[in-house]
Amino acid sequence: MVATVENTDVKQKDADRALIVAVTSRSVFESGADDDGDEEVYKVGTAFPLLQALQRVNERLLEENPAESLLFDVVLITTDRQQQQQSSRIISSTRHYGLEVGRFCFSSEEDFTESLLTNNVQLFLSTDAMEASQASQKGVVSAQLDQHAASCPSEQLRVLFCGDAVVRLSSSPAPASQQAPQSFSAQLGEMRQRFGLFDSPVSVVLVTSRGGRESCGTALRTLRSHGVSVDEAYCLAGAPRGPMLSLIRPHFLLSVGFSDLKE
Amino acid sequence: MSLNNSQTLTVSGQDLTRNGSSTNSSSSGRAPWDNARVVLKPSTPTRKPKPPKPENAITIAVSSRVLFNMEKEQQIYEHQGMEDYIKHQVEHETEPFSAGPAFSFIKALEAVNTRLRELYPDSEELFDVVLMTNNHANVGLRLINTINHHRLFIERFCMTGGNSPIGYLKAYHTNLYLSADPVKVREALGEGIAAATMFTQEKMKEVSETQLRVAFDGDAVLFSDESERIYKAHGLDKFFEHEKAHENKPLDHGPLKGFLEALGKLQKKFYDKGQRMDCPIRTYLVTARSAASSGTRALKTLRSWGLEIDEALFLAGAPKGPMLEKIRPHIFFDDQMFHVEGAAEMGTVACHVPYGIAQRVTKKGTMNEETSSAPK
Repeated sequence: MVATVENTDVKQKDADRALIVAVTSRSVFESGADDDGDEEVYKVGTAFPLLQALQRVNERLLEENPAESLLFDVVLITTDRQQQQQSSRIISSTRHYGLEVGRFCFSSEEDFTESLLTNNVQLFLSTDAMEASQASQKGVVSAQLDQHAASCPSEQLRVLFCGDAVVRLSSSPAPASQQAPQSFSAQLGEMRQRFGLFDSPVSVVLVTSRGGRESCGTALRTLRSHGVSVDEAYCLAGAPRGPMLSLIRPHFLLSVGFSDLKE
Repeated sequence: MSLNNSQTLTVSGQDLTRNGSSTNSSSSGRAPWDNARVVLKPSTPTRKPKPPKPENAITIAVSSRVLFNMEKEQQIYEHQGMEDYIKHQVEHETEPFSAGPAFSFIKALEAVNTRLRELYPDSEELFDVVLMTNNHANVGLRLINTINHHRLFIERFCMTGGNSPIGYLKAYHTNLYLSADPVKVREALGEGIAAATMFTQEKMKEVSETQLRVAFDGDAVLFSDESERIYKAHGLDKFFEHEKAHENKPLDHGPLKGFLEALGKLQKKFYDKGQRMDCPIRTYLVTARSAASSGTRALKTLRSWGLEIDEALFLAGAPKGPMLEKIRPHIFFDDQMFHVEGAAEMGTVACHVPYGIAQRVTKKGTMNEETSSAPK
């Protein structure tokens, strides 16, 4: 059974216009093995800087335009029974850190994907690869947060698009499953356009790992056609990714456009 | 620390490793992104060789402004600001830039690579060129179009959108960094990366398309600036005395020593295949030291490092311009702007290595008087 609770501390966003991002509570808060009963508040987890960065974007958007409706709407979601039972602690921790979470979704492993759909979540982020995969299967744009997200900047949201090796034959039509990533990218792109080239609280980064300049060019064009203007681009042509990613420090990675690889 | 691939993305619906499901029959019409599709032909004619691993290659990182001529755009940026600059770049996206000062040098590197691949088809000891630019990725397509137009073999780039390139230079194990920005060049030198500032030149004489020629100044470029300090502090006579007395003591190394070493390693690959006479790499030392006296220490130092240089030209203080004009190197490295300018005036592509004691002297007039008969 899923319980959805509005966070009354936070002004609710316009559901039609906001970019709804769901993050698992396990990613945001670190739950210790022995829950000390006296401890009301969790320690911060991997996704904490990410949440701060999302918040920063919202602050800056409202600075530009106090009536702005294209904002991030953050949903904190539990994905297992254990967390589901910690609801009050999750809520109090959120309040303690002053996190701009619009809603809480207390679901378990069986029904969390359903609640993502019910809540019209456009982006689902979790440190758990399986969870990200399950959500993705249901048609929700998902990304796994790795532990390096913990050391990402909190003043700028850095979104990485990977533009590798995804080519479709022209004869096959675009599947319906492309709609979600397309619309998310378009909204993100629109959000990025609210800011100038310098000092933006959100930066869009493109990396092509395997391909050379042609792949990168194609990816740039594809993103542009989705309404996404790229800030930084790195074309690796087979050079090791690890060192580059530690320099780029993205909060999360998404794919550019097409996901099916037809032989 | 490395991030493993299993973490990268899941996109709605389809898992990349499984075969695309055939249940996707789209009911919607053609979406706008359809125009961006690429059709994969079964027999693709372009069989580009794979770029080498950065740790195996000799990596040259070059900024967009020195590879290409972006003077007009630079003016727009300086006088009208970033937004107009980007707008202009995007509007002219299909117009390729013309060649910049580093262009012929980069082309010559590719000629050497072709020869190396013929002799050693499986080796990764090749030149690898990385475009390292501060530019915003919006300019990316114009840069890619330009690279295509000039048929350059550049498959790697970093468009940092304003962030520092230093980390990326290191990640690519960069052997030489060329940029129009002296601040970045100094930063690179500070991190132990060979680097030099390049300038737009009105005159660029024709250079060989088959043989890469690289010319180096001696003091504060290949060697440290220790002798130059002595000259500046105590004058010419003291300098000669000192150099003679220390003839057999190798000078300390300078910022470009490593790059000369890398060139030597490639040269040896040609020698090993009996191609010494026809070697497509040639190196030159062009120094104000004189053969009779202070030059000996320079040569002995090179020998102690196990480095060969093809031609050593001791000018004993004479201007370097005319000599360089005869040699026609693709690139000439010097730590003194006086010499860089002198070379450029006569059509040699010259770049500045902002290293050592000579950088303290800022007025051109002072440098002229002091250095016109100065050994280096």
